[in-house]
Amino acid sequence: MRNTPVLVDPTGEVEPARREPLARPASLDGRTVALLDISKARGDIFLDRLHMRLDERGIEVKRYMKPTFARIAPVAVKQQIASEAALVVEGLAD
Amino acid sequence: MTKQFTLVVKRDCPTCTLLEPVYAELAASGLALDVWTQDDPAFPESVSGALDEELERSFRLGVEIVPTLIRREDGEETGRTWGWDRAEWERLTGLEGLGAGLPPFRPGCGAKNVEPGMPEALAARFGSAHLKSRRVPLAPLEDEVEAAYDRGWSDGLPVVPPTEARVLAMLDGTTRDPGEVLGLAPPNLQPCTVEKVAVNAVMAGCKPEYLPVVLAAVEAALDDAFCMHGVLATTYYIGPIVIVNGPVRRAVGMNAKGNVLGQGNRANATVGRALQLVVRNVGGGKPQGVDRAALGNPGKYTFCFPEDEEGSAWPPLSESRGAGKGASAVTLFAGYGVMGVVDQDSRTPEALVETFADVFRGLENRNRRNIDAVVVVSPEHDRVFRDGGWSREDLEAALRTALDEPGHETPKLREGGLLIVRAGGGAGMFSAILPGWAATGPVGSIPVTKEVGT
Amino acid sequence: MGVATTEFVEAWQAQSAALGYEPPMIFVPHPIQDRTDAEIQALADAAVEEIVGRLTA
Repeated sequence: MRNTPVLVDPTGEVEPARREPLARPASLDGRTVALLDISKARGDIFLDRLHMRLDERGIEVKRYMKPTFARIAPVAVKQQIASEAALVVEGLAD
Repeated sequence: MTKQFTLVVKRDCPTCTLLEPVYAELAASGLALDVWTQDDPAFPESVSGALDEELERSFRLGVEIVPTLIRREDGEETGRTWGWDRAEWERLTGLEGLGAGLPPFRPGCGAKNVEPGMPEALAARFGSAHLKSRRVPLAPLEDEVEAAYDRGWSDGLPVVPPTEARVLAMLDGTTRDPGEVLGLAPPNLQPCTVEKVAVNAVMAGCKPEYLPVVLAAVEAALDDAFCMHGVLATTYYIGPIVIVNGPVRRAVGMNAKGNVLGQGNRANATVGRALQLVVRNVGGGKPQGVDRAALGNPGKYTFCFPEDEEGSAWPPLSESRGAGKGASAVTLFAGYGVMGVVDQDSRTPEALVETFADVFRGLENRNRRNIDAVVVVSPEHDRVFRDGGWSREDLEAALRTALDEPGHETPKLREGGLLIVRAGGGAGMFSAILPGWAATGPVGSIPVTKEVGT
Repeated sequence: MGVATTEFVEAWQAQSAALGYEPPMIFVPHPIQDRTDAEIQALADAAVEEIVGRLTA
């Protein structure tokens, strides 16, 4: 009988630490919501409309943009959002 | 001072059996002697020895030839001889008149622990090179190739099972530390070590000598400019295309001639595949997962080819992109292919470049601008440019001029986005365009050139 | 939180599992790129209630 074969794991052996999203606020009163556009074609049409609807509800909105959908957001954009807004809605794919 | 002698022999070696009288003389002299036999526990007959059944002792002693006689003083090795050389044996042991009646010299035989495949197998079991990767023990009757499929490690084709022995042999192909981190592999941003690249190179079917080329390709892919995460995640057709330059092409036997973009050459096929397997396994980038390609392309199994520098009047692509003169290098391009450029009539560069421009005009969509592309100029088209005295720069300039269209501010070809190489078989007036991604330049992928190390 | 189209549920699952983080997401009907402005605005209108709901506890 042959030996039990042993292989070497070719994967990244991912074992991420679980992270929970931050707690949501009870209401949006007095909080600024960031809308992040990733520069994908026509995502702005969606976000413009969302912006309008949030305005109607009296919710403070600020707009941000990634320079390209192909890359993760630059640190400066992330820091600006973190310092100016409590919540962020990202218009993602596609 | 304590002197200790170790003798390693095997029955299957005529020199070992010839020396039976000498072994008896050593034992009779009273010196401290350990005898290890590699094959037959009943050998030698003149002294008692122990069987080195697993060959661990022979491996640890670094024996290559039997018989080998090693002298230690206070635990430190102070001399060793192999084969039979009476003068050497006498010098080492301090005994005189050893093996009277035997010829003064006989070469030894190859030791069992250095037979083909054994050094790697023994290194895996007993060696000091420690692989950090998790070990995956299979069930006794589990097929290794099927096991790799079952665990999601395959691109769809069979992989070579990455055993410890194969991975260690692969790591012999580089001087780099197995633990060295080349970067974070997207999309899961896992540290990509030399060892992980070696495991995937084994699975791709690489020889150890290809590993430095694979490492350079992985380094290029993990360079931020290449934007591998985006190249993987896009709905576009593209994948990484590896273009190889320099002496390493011929050293590892790559094919730059006929069917250069096709199947049939191990180095071409497996280097490109290894890079894709690294993205799949280390990075975790898989179709139906983060890889969102609508169609993909067959080059996502593997797409790697060398430039035919010997047949070209132009400097290598890598040199034109800043790599050292005469250095081996890989250039990574996010693209797909193969779009034909067919011209069997043009006898002048001016006429031929118009055919190239015509293909570019309609490429993908007439309105596409700012595109990147590799142009693979076949030898029969190269001949026309060469006879006309055109350099690579002349060809690029003529293409850009031909593609200028009134009313468009953005050029058809992105500045810096055109890579022109020469490759292919000697007959056939057919060149090729390998188009790039929709996101080119700083907002997408920029071609990256990396020199191949050791 | 993120807004994506229904074609990207698998990508969200794969990336969330790998990174150990599941950001709130809502998925609107695919596609976006070739729709008229009015069609996209209707998608946003239909999503706004859920977006506001997901932003609050």
